[in-house]
Amino acid sequence: MLAPRPQDRFTLPRCEDCGKFHFYPRPVCPHCASARIGWAEASGRGEVYSHSTVHRAPSPAFKDDVPYVIAIVKTDEGPHLLSRVVGVSPQAVHVGMRLRVRLDKRAEGVVLPEFEPESVK
Amino acid sequence: MNKSLQNVSIAGVGESPLGSVPGMNAMELQRAAALAALADAGLSLSDVDGLLTTPIRVANWAMPVGMVAQGLGIRPGYLATLDVAGASGTAMVHHAAMAVATGQATTVLCVAGQNQLSNVSRDAAVAQIAGAGWAHPEYEAPYGPLVPTLYALVAQRHMHEYGTTPEQMAEVAVAIRGHAALNPLAHKKAPISVADVLNSKMITTPLHLLDCAIVSDGAAAFVISSRPGLKKRAVKILGQGYGFTHTYIGEHDNIATTGAVQSGRAAFAMAGVKPADIDVAELYDCFTITVIVELEDLGFCPKGEGGRFVEGGRIRLGGELPVTTHGGLLSAVHPGLAGGMFHVVEAVRQLRGEAGARQVPEAELVLAHGNGGIIGIHCTLILGKG
Repeated sequence: MLAPRPQDRFTLPRCEDCGKFHFYPRPVCPHCASARIGWAEASGRGEVYSHSTVHRAPSPAFKDDVPYVIAIVKTDEGPHLLSRVVGVSPQAVHVGMRLRVRLDKRAEGVVLPEFEPESVK
Repeated sequence: MNKSLQNVSIAGVGESPLGSVPGMNAMELQRAAALAALADAGLSLSDVDGLLTTPIRVANWAMPVGMVAQGLGIRPGYLATLDVAGASGTAMVHHAAMAVATGQATTVLCVAGQNQLSNVSRDAAVAQIAGAGWAHPEYEAPYGPLVPTLYALVAQRHMHEYGTTPEQMAEVAVAIRGHAALNPLAHKKAPISVADVLNSKMITTPLHLLDCAIVSDGAAAFVISSRPGLKKRAVKILGQGYGFTHTYIGEHDNIATTGAVQSGRAAFAMAGVKPADIDVAELYDCFTITVIVELEDLGFCPKGEGGRFVEGGRIRLGGELPVTTHGGLLSAVHPGLAGGMFHVVEAVRQLRGEAGARQVPEAELVLAHGNGGIIGIHCTLILGKG
């Protein structure tokens, strides 16, 4: 079974046999079906593959956040993952925008990686 | 057609009252639909020896098909609860047909539905749908996507890759609302324009309120049977196919293309026909973008041309390919997992010439398509006159 995700750096599941990254975590590698999988440090860089600005909260817990940007991020390591794009006006977000990870957001004590434009200092 | 399906027919179809039906619970809606479909087939509950249903969300039914069998007072010799999300409606036809073709049952009743609208408040319904697990509970849901957001990601990517526009998506909603206006049972019948869609509340860019399916009460039913001497002209299952790509949208590397490519290819090959032969397409329309992607992936137009295909009234009644002629999930009825069953009901009525003001003249071949999850699972049917 895969260990809990490290909280102090950005990691992705990687197959210890074929060396390829994937996401989401799963019992066997989608590339070679090996069951030897661990969390490996990733660059935390990627780009916007697609995005949507949410104007209607799915539940009261998100009411204070609207509008917010949900995006599919294509990481430089390959895997796609869903996240938020922060630190930028929603209107400025576009497909292909270069991103880097931020690890300051937590939900229920677990780090929730978000992304901001690489251009933000 | 597959030889094993030669003696299998869709013998009857029916539905409960649809829309806002506060006086009926899920079982009462399902019973009404079941009795309507059986009456349509000239059969009764005592003729039913197989039963299929889907799970419901509004009540905690531990064993849905057992609850339905009990509610109808029958003890079928073949029964199952089927859940391939929005593809369940078309998949029920496939599973029932397999049971009949293999002699497991003679007459399978497929019935599902619930009081999705009247059971809870609209806010609670949105929260319930958002929390139903369509987003990965650990790696997606904490970011706060609506189910419409997950489809909006498809729409945004499609716009980026192919130049699809909000106006083209709006035309899907307008065309299908026009069809609902001709369906006396439809939940929403008031005509809308492209401007109305674009001016409706922005939910999750680029999808507006009117790009999204409605929430309704209702149930549908159909009867699949091998009995000879049916009351009405039987409808035959000429082709069927499935396609699966992913459970969670984040892991699908190419979100502007769906498993409808695979399901459509299989269904057309089995039926021995091609997209240009289809007279009516009852496409799953949970969002406007869904229809555009399905038109492409099922082969009605080249990949990327779906937005341009819907222009000029091409998918309206009287157009080259009338789409979702009962008014679909966008306007007629959407009670949850049963939503895709109404596309099958409409396909049968079109083939029998019973669609009234929305009848497509000389409809000989009708495609019905179900899409489940976040474009992840697909089931296509090609139906024809017996």
